[in-house]
Amino acid sequence: MRDFVLFAHIILGLALIAFPILILLYLNKRSKWLKPLSIITAAISWLLLLPSGKLYITFYPATKTLVKAGSWPWAHDVIMETKEHWGLLLPVIATVAAGLVFTGKAKDSKKWWVLLIILSALLGVMGRIIKIGALK
Amino acid sequence: MAKFNFYLGATASSWLLAILIIAAELYGPFKNLLKSTFSHHWIGKGIIITIVFLAFGFLLRNKESIANLSDKKLAWHSILGSLIVIFLFYIMEFFK
Repeated sequence: MRDFVLFAHIILGLALIAFPILILLYLNKRSKWLKPLSIITAAISWLLLLPSGKLYITFYPATKTLVKAGSWPWAHDVIMETKEHWGLLLPVIATVAAGLVFTGKAKDSKKWWVLLIILSALLGVMGRIIKIGALK
Repeated sequence: MAKFNFYLGATASSWLLAILIIAAELYGPFKNLLKSTFSHHWIGKGIIITIVFLAFGFLLRNKESIANLSDKKLAWHSILGSLIVIFLFYIMEFFK
């Protein structure tokens, strides 16, 4: 169960980097699949909350104990606390970006897609830091 | 007529998230209230900001600015502001 949720978390998180990159590449070409892909990306950002929540609520407490007892307690107190809450803004950002594409403001959506890419990548890096923190 | 204002929905929900985080960390009974109502404070914050995103986006669908600030700029600065405030808050809490 844990592995399935973890893989879902990682795959959906990677999709939130890959799909916006595709969208940005084709934003000016007005491809007909731009709107569907934008909606799919926004939907993924909401769906991602399920594996994220399951990992955080069910499986993370054991990791948290290890991190807090180790030499990198800040990996939980700063990095994880920030990560868990920044993650709640991912669907908001993705929905704004998709909404702009859908309402014909594709140009305005550009920086929102860029923010989504940066934030998703940062959350991945933060996850890695927490994992290392549990081994310290 | 616009059907939904994504910008103002994002503005309201991003600032509310920062407020909920700070209030829950500094006032234990509030965090307990979130836990007892939603089973977990994180779920509570997620549900509340989603409702606020939808409500403000719908209710303010015809507004294009607030206090002479365009909704576009407001949303962008609010999201970035919220991300920064959350990060700085936890750094400050760590060194407290």
